[in-house]
Amino acid sequence: MNSTIVSYLSQFDGHKKFIAFLSEVLGFDATALIAFLVFLIASIVVVKVMALVGGMGTYAERKISADIQMRQGPNRVGPFGLLQFLADGVKMIMKEDVLPKNADKLLFTIAPLMALVGVFGSLAVVPFSSGFILTDLNVGVFYLIGVSSLVGVAIFLGGYSSNSKWSMLGGMRGASQIISYEVPVTLSILAIVILAGGLSFSTLVNAQGGLPHQWYVLHNPFTFIGFFVFFIGALAETNRAPFDLPEAESELVSGYHTEYTGMRFGFFALAEYIEVFVVCGVAVAAFLGGYKVPFDLGTGDFLVNTLHLPPIIGKNIGQFLQIGSFVTKTLLLYYVVIWIRWTFPRLRVDHLMTLCWKYLTPIALFNLVGCAVWLYAFDGHSIWELFSQMTAGSHGGGH
Amino acid sequence: MFDNILFLLSASLTVVGAFSVVLTKNLMHSCVYLLAALFGMAGLYATLGADFLAATQLVVYVGGVVILMLFAVMLTGGDQDKENKFGITKVPAMGNTKTFIAGGISALVIALVILRLVANIAKQNPQGDLPNYMSTVVEIGTKLVTDHVLAFEISSVLLLGALVGAAVIARPARGDDQ
Amino acid sequence: MITLSSYLMISLALFLSGLVVMIARKNIIAILLGIELILNSAALNFAAYTRFVNQNIEGHIVSLFIIVIAAAEAAVGLGIVIRFFQMRESIHIDDAAQLQS
Repeated sequence: MNSTIVSYLSQFDGHKKFIAFLSEVLGFDATALIAFLVFLIASIVVVKVMALVGGMGTYAERKISADIQMRQGPNRVGPFGLLQFLADGVKMIMKEDVLPKNADKLLFTIAPLMALVGVFGSLAVVPFSSGFILTDLNVGVFYLIGVSSLVGVAIFLGGYSSNSKWSMLGGMRGASQIISYEVPVTLSILAIVILAGGLSFSTLVNAQGGLPHQWYVLHNPFTFIGFFVFFIGALAETNRAPFDLPEAESELVSGYHTEYTGMRFGFFALAEYIEVFVVCGVAVAAFLGGYKVPFDLGTGDFLVNTLHLPPIIGKNIGQFLQIGSFVTKTLLLYYVVIWIRWTFPRLRVDHLMTLCWKYLTPIALFNLVGCAVWLYAFDGHSIWELFSQMTAGSHGGGH
Repeated sequence: MFDNILFLLSASLTVVGAFSVVLTKNLMHSCVYLLAALFGMAGLYATLGADFLAATQLVVYVGGVVILMLFAVMLTGGDQDKENKFGITKVPAMGNTKTFIAGGISALVIALVILRLVANIAKQNPQGDLPNYMSTVVEIGTKLVTDHVLAFEISSVLLLGALVGAAVIARPARGDDQ
Repeated sequence: MITLSSYLMISLALFLSGLVVMIARKNIIAILLGIELILNSAALNFAAYTRFVNQNIEGHIVSLFIIVIAAAEAAVGLGIVIRFFQMRESIHIDDAAQLQS
């Protein structure tokens, strides 16, 4: 039904031969077993790499903030302080795991895990390349919105169960912020869904091209505004500055994770950094062309035709180019997120809600209607295609 | 086989969650167990091939209803008085043995009736070959704006009414706080 | 072996839990939790019949409407609860015994 990493692998001969061999050895049809193993390995790889990205995120945050504030940043552990996150991780594991006396033990324990589950669950549909996507669900966008809202519940429960004023306020702010900003984010993704005509991420990406004028962000004026609405909403949904009200360290000590220590706190921090990556990935997939490489290098046909490589190698090189394209754009957005954090001051709570409900949500609704009208009026052509048609038409009239 | 494993996992999550909602004495825990049960329901929808329903379940319940419930618990906590305004001792808010016995007996009666019906159904419908899973998104979308367009529009008006109504009801009356 | 009756049994379990919660609890929010469980059991039945009996998509659409109505019901119900708490300082169902404040 859905294209997955298994369906990508199964187009190669070696995969079929291996399954046939294994079926012979084991005495039963090994297709399901191999599919399970491939999924297992791929999930483990994705989770490990993402944990690394989360760890490097903390390093990048400190280094970039240091750069912006003209400091050195971490520079002792490893070359350029690159291994700082490992040192931090070891410190967190070694720390005493404090469980406050009047805390709600069950909720206090499961809240950080819930945050991690929500974030890692949403990684299942992030399209790294046309072949390497864990599962290309046909309701991928919906699934991602649903699963990632587990993080909101986790923040709320973490704040409630700590039995502390600061945590409580932080948790309530966090939950209200996340469910409020879900509205403009969802609406601006839905505008793209209308244009692309499908809820799966591969549909969204395949409707775009490799070059910037083929991306949805430059498709028409409405999507251009929609991208910024999405990005602002996404910043708020991941509790990043200038929307980090839930953990505002100058008003609430550190918000919902005031009482958390050790690895439990580490889970919250890791979840936040990975969620930033996921959100940037979604922005890239929906608005910035996703894994598309310019000039159709990603399919591998060009390499096969010019360099006379065997198709299997060309295809895999194309896959790596696609992953590179996706990850590069995502990390650029990640940089922008950190840059914004260290540039803008924090909003006030009522300003936050005003921004969401009085500005972003109406604009997102307007964009949704605008995209629908655009699709109806211009048959889904982008503004550049219309320009080129117009000039071509005027030339044609001159003859 | 993986279908069966997924079914077993989500079914046990649903049933255990639902029973824990009944058995726990803590309202907050009750909400979290409800979340587990609803999550399991999404898994059950997935085993039924209802992909759009599963995603909708996740979006509506996890992101909306459960957080609303938690908020309501938070905003209304602290009901300590044991007597009502007529001086009669109240049943504790989370129920006592008597209420649970009443609930248990009525559940038992209804369970017997339903089991009687379900037994007939299980006999009547021997299961044939099931169709393969298909994407239901396109079909649901088409049906919603053709055959069921009236219900669709009415439910959108209902949602709008609920939104405005909830906002109006929950807001303190004019002059209360000034 | 997964059949229609296994889904019906799960739905029955959900329904009975919701019923017991509604009868036994005296907290309005807990009663709303019970209502959610009951609505979910109905929605699961529709989806299960769609898969095992007639394979057309109408059951899914009914389930979808059930989910929509459950969301609306939760929003309005909780609004009423919060208003009630502001007036009576209580969310005990037995305190809601008067039609007018």
